[in-house]
Amino acid sequence: MRPSFFHHLHPPTIPTAQARWRHTLAAGGTAIFLMLILGVTGILEMFYYIPNPEEAALSVQTITYLVPFGGFIRNLHYWSAQLLLIVSAIHLLRVVFTAAYSHPRRFNYLLGLTLFVIVILLDFTGYILRWDVDICYPLLTGTNLLKTIPLIGDALHRIAIGGGDACTSGLLRMYVWHIFGLTLPVIILGVWHAFRVRRDGGIAVPPPQVRTDNARISRNELVRREVLAMFVIGIALILLSSFAPAPIAPAMPTTPAAIGAAASQSARAPWFFLWVQQMLKWGDPFIFGIVIPIGILVLVALIPYIFPKPADSDIGTWFPKSNRFAQITIGLVSFIVILLTLLANAK
Amino acid sequence: MNVTQWKNKMTDLSRRDFLKLIRNGFLYLSGVLVTGGLLRFLSYESEPKRKTEFDIGSADNYPLGSRTSIPEIPALLIHTESGYTALSLTCTHLGCTLEPNETGFACPCHNSSFDEAGNVIHGPAVKPLQVLRIEITDDGNIKVFTA
Ligand code: HEM
Ligand code: FES
Repeated sequence: MRPSFFHHLHPPTIPTAQARWRHTLAAGGTAIFLMLILGVTGILEMFYYIPNPEEAALSVQTITYLVPFGGFIRNLHYWSAQLLLIVSAIHLLRVVFTAAYSHPRRFNYLLGLTLFVIVILLDFTGYILRWDVDICYPLLTGTNLLKTIPLIGDALHRIAIGGGDACTSGLLRMYVWHIFGLTLPVIILGVWHAFRVRRDGGIAVPPPQVRTDNARISRNELVRREVLAMFVIGIALILLSSFAPAPIAPAMPTTPAAIGAAASQSARAPWFFLWVQQMLKWGDPFIFGIVIPIGILVLVALIPYIFPKPADSDIGTWFPKSNRFAQITIGLVSFIVILLTLLANAK
Repeated sequence: MNVTQWKNKMTDLSRRDFLKLIRNGFLYLSGVLVTGGLLRFLSYESEPKRKTEFDIGSADNYPLGSRTSIPEIPALLIHTESGYTALSLTCTHLGCTLEPNETGFACPCHNSSFDEAGNVIHGPAVKPLQVLRIEITDDGNIKVFTA
């Protein structure tokens, strides 16, 4: 048989331990599945979406209310994106809690983390594409944050939205970043990430000498489990998309005077950035909006490099002793982010 | 590493290693050049600059004692005994538009508040509101400048 990427990812047999639900939580595979759905529904939306400030929100309304199944397609795109963020976060947590990031998987850990960051940016740029009254202040404050970065801030602002006024211009850039500038890296890094999983010896489990359970499952069984996971997620997506429509708000006015009045009604960041908005209430935007979030990211990226190497027999087991520091670090980070989000919701 | 060892190492560099070094050097260099070029390409200022000059009509429209909001700037035009003042209503924290309240102005984005004169009551903003430059034109109109 001709070797293919599919066969690279699905060898004839793999250790059962690598394919247990309670070990992987099926999170990485679900992320891939959601990305495929995002790709397909996104391309379908491109047939109707018009990336200019006068027509964007109206074209979203066209998709939602007029195009046959348009609302459903849009809901699928929306819900897959929200689930992708959650599932990637769960995947990241499981990789740290099971010490799976350790050598030889350190490089793939960084690939994964980069994917996570790009996925957040994709969710943000996608949200901006609605170009309704809700997106003005998040876009304005987000891009003004870039300007607070010394030396390169203004250039970054121009790279992001073309250097103009956030709520009257910049949509074309957001569009191209969303459908191409961020999507292409996700495809390349995503394929690379999946390729590396097998190259690094498959999902992390203790080495055969110390493994108690040496059972193996066949390729067919692996595929069967993958299909089952896709089926469950698929049903969840269909239910969500049928009964919980993606948010839609009136179009953003086109004159600055009217924008001010309309935008002040909704100064709320999208849910995944509420924690940053909450910190920004505390003071200097550069510190709380740039330095701290990037600091957290760097800390998470350094986990495989600064903490003691987990014992071989611990790799791929839940909450092993030799991995305490990493677990506490990622646990604290998640706790703080969730707490800040709740705080932002409290008012 | 002492000097003789260093020299030995230098002469140890075979022709093949040398070519490899050159090749990698060129690869890195072209990578840096392409990335730099790409960033410069993307950083062109494609969107129009924000307007900085606003003609807000005849001064007679703003009688003594009036405080008028001009949303398109956004600013508040105040006419007192000592003349006209234009107070910017752009939050000095991250740029949202302020809304008037009982004590002055509040920001919907991260809850900064300012008093009637534009001083910070509480943060996160630290800078007071900007007082904008004003000109009265020959035909009696008021012009406000944001930069
Ligand atoms: C958002 C896009 C992502 C996709 C599509 C994805 C996909 C996958 C898949 C399918 C696997 C196989 C194992 C499993 O299902 O658990 C995997 C493994 C792995 N992922 Fe991800 N991942 C993503 C993000 C991340 C993140 C955020 C990290 C961590 C920073 C990460 C780090 C890893 C590592 C280290 C492995 C190997 C783990 C092991 O062998 O047990 N990935 N990824
Ligand atoms: S923009 Fe006004 S408080 Fe942040």
